[in-house]
Amino acid sequence: MIKISSLSKYFGKIHALDNLDLEINKGELLGIIGPNGAGKTTAIRIICGILKPDSGDVVVNGYSVLKDPIMVKSMIGYLPEEPNLYERFKARDLLRYFGELYGVPKDNLNNRINELLELVGMENRAEHRINTFSKGLRQRIAIARALIHDPQIIIFDEPTMGLDPATSLAIRGFIENLKGEKTIVLCTHYMDEADTLCDRVAILNGGKVRDMGTPEYLKAKIHGDIILEIKIQNQNIDTEKIHSLSSVESVNLNGKNLSISLSSKQEISDILRLIGNNMISINTKEPSLEDVFIHSIK
Amino acid sequence: MRFLKITKWELKNTLSSKKFITIIILQFGLLILMMSFFNMFIGSIESEDGISLSPSLSKFASIDVSDNNSFIITNLNKEVLDIRLVDYNNSLKRLRDGKTTAIIVSPENPREKIESFQTINIDLYINSEDPKQSVVLNEVNSTLEALSTSISDEWINSLIPPEKIVDPEVKEEKKGEFLPLQIIKKMMIAILLFLPLFLFGNMVVDSIVGEKERKTGEIIIAMPLSHSDIIMGKNLAIILIIALQTAIWIITLLIAGFNIKNPQLVYLIVLLTSVPIIGITSVIATYSKNYKEAEIGLSLVYIIMVGFLIIPALAYISTRSLSSNISPMTLVMRIFSGEAISGVDFIIPIFSILMVSLISFWTSIKLFKRDDMVFGPRPNLIRIIMDFLGIKKREFK
Ligand SMILES: Nc1ncnc2c1ncn2[C@@H]1O[C@H](COP(=O)(O)OP(=O)(O)O)[C@@H](O)[C@H]1O
Ligand SMILES: [Mg+2]
Repeated sequence: MIKISSLSKYFGKIHALDNLDLEINKGELLGIIGPNGAGKTTAIRIICGILKPDSGDVVVNGYSVLKDPIMVKSMIGYLPEEPNLYERFKARDLLRYFGELYGVPKDNLNNRINELLELVGMENRAEHRINTFSKGLRQRIAIARALIHDPQIIIFDEPTMGLDPATSLAIRGFIENLKGEKTIVLCTHYMDEADTLCDRVAILNGGKVRDMGTPEYLKAKIHGDIILEIKIQNQNIDTEKIHSLSSVESVNLNGKNLSISLSSKQEISDILRLIGNNMISINTKEPSLEDVFIHSIK
Repeated sequence: MRFLKITKWELKNTLSSKKFITIIILQFGLLILMMSFFNMFIGSIESEDGISLSPSLSKFASIDVSDNNSFIITNLNKEVLDIRLVDYNNSLKRLRDGKTTAIIVSPENPREKIESFQTINIDLYINSEDPKQSVVLNEVNSTLEALSTSISDEWINSLIPPEKIVDPEVKEEKKGEFLPLQIIKKMMIAILLFLPLFLFGNMVVDSIVGEKERKTGEIIIAMPLSHSDIIMGKNLAIILIIALQTAIWIITLLIAGFNIKNPQLVYLIVLLTSVPIIGITSVIATYSKNYKEAEIGLSLVYIIMVGFLIIPALAYISTRSLSSNISPMTLVMRIFSGEAISGVDFIIPIFSILMVSLISFWTSIKLFKRDDMVFGPRPNLIRIIMDFLGIKKREFK
């Protein structure tokens, strides 16, 4: 559906994208994760025909963004990182404006607008001006705007950044609803967001894809780092003996917190016996996408 | 035709925004104010009293005249001088006492002397300590000059048979005081006609730089529109607004009694002139990073553009040189003052309007197509010009 090949982009001397290759399949939800400055926004802007690459190309549904930008643009719905909208517009007029410019047929447009306002829960604010909206409401309208022409491909750039937890949850809900129906690219630096939503995740850093796969695959790749977090009553613990077990990789005693890193789960019962009733609570921590991320950009 | 959609929405937004309505009302207020000021100014120039630009000069200095034959006294400027007809001896005493600045003494029987080709002497006594003496000297000199011209004219005319003098075919060339008055009047109308064109720069800047400052350029460019659709759509909206305002403005001038011949043609040319002005403004707007930069750029360029309009127009009035036709203002001036215009006269201004429009809009679109103009980092001017010329930068690896 989207094929990105050897994309490079410089901003003056900053090398934002470095021969980026990436393929996004039809109907999948691909997450792009990476720290600030990784090049996520730059990559997305090139896909959307907003920036021109210094080299490389993006082919969307068989159309090159360099040769047929208008065709590509009409297939994509884009939610920018910052929901900057025309402040003086009323919510409904903003949607009508973009609807007309995207060429939504006149007789469909009103229905489409109502549908979207309902979807993002803004029916009652339709006649209010954008400049009276909070950041959360703006983001909702911005999402409705991105969907106005019912695009096959939707690209979200950090859709929940800086929003309150309830709005973030709602927005993740919208994305979840679109999943399967549309081809979606989700850029985020919230790893758990990518973990719960995405079919596949690409880890971007320094303008390059460092690793890519399903969240499970990526996590399994760095498996072994099962971490036991144990709270103890007193420091009367023989850490040497725990360390001598074959599956234990490291033991860390920090006040009343004992943290043990294991390569497998087999000897957990032995460890527990060694600690005995000195133990108050125990917690196992499985690797998260965050660990994968830290691991892969090392 | 996609750009018409942009135009439609820009118009809709602009015409319904309170800010715009306020600006239009303020602009109109300013124009009306200038108009009434000009009217007053012209009025005072044309009034019977002649030019009295410095009212404080009236009856500024006093002069005593000894003139039994009313030879000089009728020609002296009564506005500036306080004239007193006194006999010679009495005046000398007044001069010594500082009661008058000067005495002028006309000869006996001056007209007879002239007719018999004798020189006539006019004596002027001046109180050299009085600072007003120079004014008196000036006034007397110009009076005498006028007097001698009129005497010689009279004499020459008396030699020619009367039927030769009155020749209806020959228009008298107006000179002297009348020329500046004509210039001032024409320039004022021309300025009033063209002034509104320069009041719309801010709208262009708001429409284009605003997209950068408010960071909305991204969603505009992400739409299935070409860069030229966006630039042309936005600028067309502003030209249409100018068309509306200029029409209202010309009608206002006509109602206010300004003499504008052929107003439709004048309107058309003024409107056409707005196209390159908007084009150049659009170039500045696409190049500028922010409002501040755009405003500095506009001020500089507008001074140049106003000069380009006015200087050839002034040159035309004073020298009638053909090259001054390059300014559309010259053309408009000739049309509204009822001069006969041939098709050839249109070629130069229309051609210059077209060329500047084409080049400026082309440049503006070219600039807008560069993503570094909208998102930065903006390259320097030399780099941009080299890119225009197709000179590639050395790759650094
Ligand atoms: N318009 C720009 N001008 C200069 N540098 C930029 C511009 N846009 C992005 N960059 C730089 O390119 C790099 C990648 O930025 P970006 O794509 O925004 O990263 P991300 O979205 O992953 O945070 C960063 O170093 C950033 O500073
Ligand atoms: Mg970003």
